Amino acid sequence: MNQWLTMILIVLPVAGALLVAVAPLSAYWLGSFAALVSLVEIGFWITAASRFHYGSPRLQLAQHASWFSDLHVSWHVGMYAFSVWIVGMSVVCMGAATIYGWWVGRDRGRAYFALMLLLTGAVVGVFTSQDLLLFYAFFEAMLIPLYVLIGVWGGADRLRATLTFVVYTVVGSLLMLASIVVLGLREGTFDLTQMHTSHSSLLFLGFLVAFAIKSPLFPFHGWLPITYREAPAEVSGVLSGVVGKAGLYGLLRIAIPIFPAVVADWRGLILALSAASLLYGSLLAFRAPDFRGVVMYSSLAQAGLIGLGLFANNSLGFDGAVLQIVNHGLVSTSLFLLAGMVERRTATRGEFALLGGMARGRPALASLVMIVGIVSLAVPLSTTFAGEFLILAGVFQQGWAWAVLGAIAIVLAAMYMLRAISAVLHQDTGSAVSERATDLRLGELAILVPLVLCLLGLSAWPNLVSGHTLGKTQIERLAK
Amino acid sequence: MHGPDIQWYVILSAILFTTGALGVMLRRNPLIILLSVEIMLNAANLLLIAFSRLHGREDGQIFAISVMAVAASEVVVGLGLIVAMGRRNVELDVDKLRTLRG
Amino acid sequence: MSTAAWICLLLPLASAVVLTVGGTAVPRRIAGYVSTLTTMGAFAAAVVAFFDMWSKAPVERVATTTSWTWLAAGQYHFGLTLLADQVSIVMMLIVSGVGSLIVAYSVGYMDGEDEERRFFAYMSLFVFSMLLLVEGGNLLLLLAGWGMVGLSSYLLIGYYQDRPSAIAAAKKAFVMNAFGDATMALALFLLIQHTGALDYVTVFRNAPHHGAIANLIALGLLGGALAKSAQIPLHTWLPDAMEGPTPVSALIHAATMVTAGVYLIVRCHPLFENAWAVQDLAAGLGAATLLMAGLIALVQTDIKRVIAYSTMSQIGYMFVGAGIGAYPNALFHLMTHAFFKALLFLAAGILIHALTGEQDIRKLAGVGKLMPFTKWVFLIGSLALVGIFPFAGFFSKDSIIAACLAHGTYGAIIWVACVIGAFLTGVYAFRLYFIVFTGEPTAWAREHFHKHHGKEGPISMLWTVGTLAVLAVIGGWLQFAPIWHPLTTWLDPIAAPITEPSNFQEWLSSAFAIVLGLAGIGVAYVLYVARSVPVPQAVTLFEKKFYWDELYDVVWYRSSDALSRGLGTIIELPLIGGAITAVSGLTGASSRELSMAQNGLVRTYALALAGGVAVLALIFLAAR
Repeated sequence: MNQWLTMILIVLPVAGALLVAVAPLSAYWLGSFAALVSLVEIGFWITAASRFHYGSPRLQLAQHASWFSDLHVSWHVGMYAFSVWIVGMSVVCMGAATIYGWWVGRDRGRAYFALMLLLTGAVVGVFTSQDLLLFYAFFEAMLIPLYVLIGVWGGADRLRATLTFVVYTVVGSLLMLASIVVLGLREGTFDLTQMHTSHSSLLFLGFLVAFAIKSPLFPFHGWLPITYREAPAEVSGVLSGVVGKAGLYGLLRIAIPIFPAVVADWRGLILALSAASLLYGSLLAFRAPDFRGVVMYSSLAQAGLIGLGLFANNSLGFDGAVLQIVNHGLVSTSLFLLAGMVERRTATRGEFALLGGMARGRPALASLVMIVGIVSLAVPLSTTFAGEFLILAGVFQQGWAWAVLGAIAIVLAAMYMLRAISAVLHQDTGSAVSERATDLRLGELAILVPLVLCLLGLSAWPNLVSGHTLGKTQIERLAK
Repeated sequence: MHGPDIQWYVILSAILFTTGALGVMLRRNPLIILLSVEIMLNAANLLLIAFSRLHGREDGQIFAISVMAVAASEVVVGLGLIVAMGRRNVELDVDKLRTLRG
Repeated sequence: MSTAAWICLLLPLASAVVLTVGGTAVPRRIAGYVSTLTTMGAFAAAVVAFFDMWSKAPVERVATTTSWTWLAAGQYHFGLTLLADQVSIVMMLIVSGVGSLIVAYSVGYMDGEDEERRFFAYMSLFVFSMLLLVEGGNLLLLLAGWGMVGLSSYLLIGYYQDRPSAIAAAKKAFVMNAFGDATMALALFLLIQHTGALDYVTVFRNAPHHGAIANLIALGLLGGALAKSAQIPLHTWLPDAMEGPTPVSALIHAATMVTAGVYLIVRCHPLFENAWAVQDLAAGLGAATLLMAGLIALVQTDIKRVIAYSTMSQIGYMFVGAGIGAYPNALFHLMTHAFFKALLFLAAGILIHALTGEQDIRKLAGVGKLMPFTKWVFLIGSLALVGIFPFAGFFSKDSIIAACLAHGTYGAIIWVACVIGAFLTGVYAFRLYFIVFTGEPTAWAREHFHKHHGKEGPISMLWTVGTLAVLAVIGGWLQFAPIWHPLTTWLDPIAAPITEPSNFQEWLSSAFAIVLGLAGIGVAYVLYVARSVPVPQAVTLFEKKFYWDELYDVVWYRSSDALSRGLGTIIELPLIGGAITAVSGLTGASSRELSMAQNGLVRTYALALAGGVAVLALIFLAAR
């Protein structure tokens, strides 16, 4: 069964989406079905993770079938140790988001749940495909459900948001497509496991821009503010927690292994971009006027931090980056879900000016905002601290200045996150906070608590991720 | 070989074609435009047949017959449309029929 | 021994988890008892571990246990390792011992608060974090504990969530400590790069023994120590931290957490000895802090803030001790200070509790008549603080002062600062005592004083304060440097002093310190009891706390704010936002222009067609 597991992880949600699209059921039951599919998906991931041999740097649980042979394009899926963790984070976060959508009862449920499941399948496909064209297909397939999810269920300015989002990402993916075609024709195959290293800066640039837009890294984050603010909360959550990670994964799986020489030449510039994202995001988060603003700019900062780790060129950096990808996916999804819950309760868009004093009489909400907020600012002993520590220790070996910038950003993170926490929970009761803003309901707790437990569990043992990926040895073996 | 030289055919065809093209561009009545299109097609037919005879081969004539068939079907559809428009009292003026404007 | 150490660490964590998850299912009273009993259990485990260690030969007293690898990458492995040795066991005893007294006290103090459970959960979390800090077997766990105590301190300072000043103080404390964490993390990165590990043994063996790297490592660690222990220049958070409930001030901001910086220097003394300049800097900053805090304490009017500044000043002494290499003396003072400073805070807490939460000493004046027990224990605490024989402070503080004399010229300068500090201590401690406890009670105090079932406070508050008072009297007799010194002997394998004063230097320093301390008390008596000399006008510089807050406001907060605002208006809106507007604008405009061609006139299309054919024909002709 092993070789089918990866394929099941991709196909199961897609099949679920098709069933949801045609099944003659009410929206409520469609939602329950989608929730069930997400849970089964998590179950399959656990099976896959338990059958994986973490000591080996080879592709595992792989499946290969020729697709159109004259171009040597194939259906080739499988996982490396680092993909296992990223896929796990994705299915958990997508599951939480889908169940949240079910819980709040999104209208036009048939389309909504079908799209969420489709997105799940596409995301898993991105993280597991080992063929460049297949990768590209999944990379683009993520766009379609997102386009509709934002455009239909988003806020008032959703049309502009979708347009911005699509224009940006399509520009990036077209550049990547050009790079993929040239690279594939040159190599005579599109199979990633058969790739040789390449020296072409132009091809590298095509990939880099696409991934930098997706992640996003400064200054390619123009789509971020409006999209994250207008999308439904759970979609923003997976957008920043999971879909954004596709960009970072692309750097990890494609850009860095295939273009080692180019990366070495451009390392300074890319590290500078990453550090700029980190500081720039932290500083803007410090003044953001709303909850989502803080979370999304902190996502920008985190993408920068992970970028620092990826381009540190040592095991500390790589393992830290993988760990931090997992951490930030969980943290960001939780934070956006919390933002959505706060917004629903207060009928606001999370403006700090209207919020405040929500800790009083709402212990569950207060505890969860506090715990997730504290974890997100990387308090020592949390899993985010472990990730940041590894990344900064790694990039320190590339040059102490990067780590110093990272350390400054840690202080800034404390400043903006505490500001957000106290603006929501503490201070005077905000004008929008009334008696009707209840504490978290059981259903919401059932969604958030597992996410928080994942974070706390990882805090007790971050080595589950960082010790079960192979760092630099793995990266070096990804291309011939 | 009997008859006039090939250039006379070409000149006649050019005159016919120009007449048709000018008709398409200048007139507004769809009926006339359709007529002009037919003239252009027949100008082309004339050339096809003339060159076919010049080279002593039949493929030009076969083409001409195909063009005639196309022209006939076109007239069926076009005239049908025009008659339908006339029945519905739509003004027969292509400048007024601008739904396709970008 | 190792098992006991684990139990000691995990009991408070269990309590924190139970209280958080249990929520309202745990009765209020029970929450306090759970927290108290687990902390006492931790103390019992520490005692067991201590006697176990005592029974072994000095070379066998160090035990490390690793439960699992916490974090690994490449060839680096950082385990979840506990270290029980002579230094950490002393700290465990202090933390869990004083901690259980203060938590027990809180049961009475917090009775009737809205959210007692949250308070006790945080207290347990703090005890766990502090124990993790002192028991951690590598620098990464030390840093983890370091950050966790900062977190629990943040939570407890901001316990009164609807007080904006409390929330602001909590954030300030956290951010300042995050700064210290950051410099420490940088030092750790250097250590990873140069030694390949973070466990103490490897690090001490492989760290560079001199040069810039050694200095930078020590400097980074010192940054963390300064922030945590509220020493110049990272000290401004401590007085504001008094916004937390009084037991919090006693436990975190007097007895345990703020002294962690001293523990860090003692624990990592090989790294500091590799960088003597940085170690001297630590001593110098300690001396500067003890003077500055003493001066500011002279003019404060909030009872807790006076004690907070005295804490800063006393930790200054410890930094002097650790900085000049008298490690056992620094740890000894850390211990006695935990007794008498917790005593002072808790006695002040009885006062505050009985007088509707008031903290202004002008309103509290003269309450000694109403509260004789509190008056006596406060007097004991003050005498111990000033260092009058035979109270605890005398033994420990004087041995630090004496050690300065054995440290050359630099030590002599610091010695002068220390004895001046002793004088200042006498003045501010007894200014507080005389104002609050002698004379006639103010009308306000009479009106608002209420007894608790005929006593000055709940029984849980009285017995704990009494215990601490006994410790403040006898605690110092543990070591009397010229005659017996069991603590120094005990610590010798781990933290052997590099500076040891001669007996003459001990006697000389004690004489000076006692005389100047008594002189300080005399001055306070003249000014506030006899009132034969008018109290001088308070100096604005002292009242404004040497303008540090204003400095940080400009340098850090406002500059970040301005930078953030600047980036928002200069880059984010015009460039990033502008880019997308430009793209969509360009697309829109060009499509508007192009759509002009699509005018719906068949003849235009036909003309374009004909024109196109003509152009193509021309091109083909020209190309021939």
